[in-house]
This record gives sequence, C-alpha cells and structure tokens, in this order.
Amino acid sequence: MISEYAESLADKLGFDRLLARRVRQEVEDHLWESVAADPAGDPLEAQRRAIARFGDPQLIAAQLAAASLAERMRKIGVTIVLVIAGIFVAMKMRVAWYELTQWALCENAQEFSETMGIIDRSAFWLAVAGGIAGWAYIARRPAAPSLPSCQERIRRFLLLCAIATGGLIAAVISDGVLTALRLSGWEWSAYFLIPLLTMAIEIACAALLVFHVREVARRMARAAQLLKSEAA
Amino acid sequence: MLKGHLDMIVLAALAAGPAHGYAVIEEIRRRSGEKFELPEGTVYPALHRLEAAGLLASRWTTADSGRRRRVYSLTRRGERALADQRVVWEQFSIAIGGLLGRARTGKSPA
Repeated sequence: MISEYAESLADKLGFDRLLARRVRQEVEDHLWESVAADPAGDPLEAQRRAIARFGDPQLIAAQLAAASLAERMRKIGVTIVLVIAGIFVAMKMRVAWYELTQWALCENAQEFSETMGIIDRSAFWLAVAGGIAGWAYIARRPAAPSLPSCQERIRRFLLLCAIATGGLIAAVISDGVLTALRLSGWEWSAYFLIPLLTMAIEIACAALLVFHVREVARRMARAAQLLKSEAA
Repeated sequence: MLKGHLDMIVLAALAAGPAHGYAVIEEIRRRSGEKFELPEGTVYPALHRLEAAGLLASRWTTADSGRRRRVYSLTRRGERALADQRVVWEQFSIAIGGLLGRARTGKSPA
C-alpha cells in the first residue's frame, strides 16, 4: 500500500526524474516510520492511517513541482547572466584580436558591416536588459508555495528569458555574418583561429541558454497537467 | 493561518538540530502542544522550497531500518532568517496583544 502511494506521487513528478526518485524515497521512509509509531496492531490499518495523515498526493505533488520549478528558474537566472557575460567576453576578444592584427574589412563590405554592427549592438543590449530583468525578477522574490502562482511567475520569467534569448541569437547571428565578412577574401591561416574560436564560444553559450529555457518550458507544461488533472 | 507561517515553523523545528521529515513533523507537534495538526505531506514541499532558497541543507543517511533517509539542517542563512523572523513575530505578537488588550479595555463599562 505504501509503495503504491509513494509510486503514484513520484509518477506525478515524472517531469523531473531526480526529484521523483528523491520524493519516493523520502515518502516511503516517512510512511514506514509513521506505521512503526502507530499503536494499532493491524499493519494494514496502520498503513492506511499513515497515508491518510500524509495528505492528498495531487496537492503535495503540485507543491513539490512549484518548489522544483522555482529552483530551476533561479539557476536559469544565473545562467543567463553568465551566458551574456561569456558572449560579451568572446566579442571583445575578437575585436581586440582584429585591432592587434590590424585586420581590416574590405572596402565594399564597410556599409553592410556598419548596418550589421548596429543590429548586433541593439540585439545584444536588448538581451542584456531582458537577462538582467529576468534574473532580478527571480532573485528578488521568494519561491511561490503553490503551483498556480508559481506558473504565473514562470510565464513572466519565460517572457523575459525569450527576450534575452532572442536578442542573444540575433547578436550571435550578426556576429557570425560580421566574422564571415572579416574572414572572406583572406587565405586560411592561424590568424583565423581566434575569430572562429570566439564564434564557437558564442554559439555554444546561446545554445546552452536555449536548451535550459526549453527545459523549463517543457517542465512547466508537464507540471501544468497536475493542475488540469486536479481540476478534472 | 498555519499555512502562511509554515516555512518559519519548519525553520524553528530544525533549530534544535538536523532532522528528517518525519522528525520535523513530530517536533512541530510536540513543541506546539499538539495544537498544529497539518497534513504531514505538506512539510516536504516546504523543506524542498527552503533548501532551494539556501536556508536549509540536506544529505542522505541510512536509518537503523536500512532505509535511505534525507536529513535536513539549517544553514547560516537559515539561522539568520529564523532570527529575523523571530524578531518580526515578537513585534507582531506585542502589537496584536496591545490591540486586543485595548479593545477589551475600551468595551468595559466605565
């Protein structure tokens, strides 16, 4: 009876396998201890009472989901700030390399490069604004104890994440175009290493952020099913 | 009423030392003179939430029964948060006590 109850609670938290496993072990330990402390002689009756005292698994799963999503949002808030810093450093390294090697753009690409530069800067600063706003939004508020209020918070946070991620993707794409312009017309040499390496860092940072944001959106959608089944 | 103060109650229950979920509930029950009867499962979301906020730390141990057991303890931040909440609660308690006392005095015939 206890194993079935713990399993059903863990099943509801299937969107996060680590959490589900941890909860199952904690709940089983709790219920068996509760049974051991029960003065009744009938073990089945003691199990039934322990489960009844523990509460509605749907409600507990929804509260655990809210705690788990809040923790993940906090991690993403930090990730956004680190990713933006990483991309900024990579951009600055590349520009410093161009200056050090006096690597000039070809004449006919100047105008296009200026336009791309404006797009690049605007997109990057948009990402900075979105990222810092997202991080501050999460860092300044305590975790919501209920899933509905947590979901509302996640929606707002994901909107800020989407602004930051969209801005970063646009910045990385325009960086890629600018780097391609800068490298075009030159013979392949070891000088290409820094621009290509910094571009790879930018792409990896942006991909990391997209992965994390998608993961939270996926988990939120799975957690939302807890509310739907509760309402049904 | 209890729901809004659950985090503070859990922190206070852990002030005596590290404990697992069941022991936290027992401590709450004992120290409240068995006045607080909350669904036992609701303590776990609070424990997870407080851990995510950095107010608690936890680790797996093995109980005498051989089962794996998650033991929670207050972090420095948790101790500070509890101390802050104690001050706020004492001020609130004095204020409410004063209000209710005055109200009773006001109603009494002169």
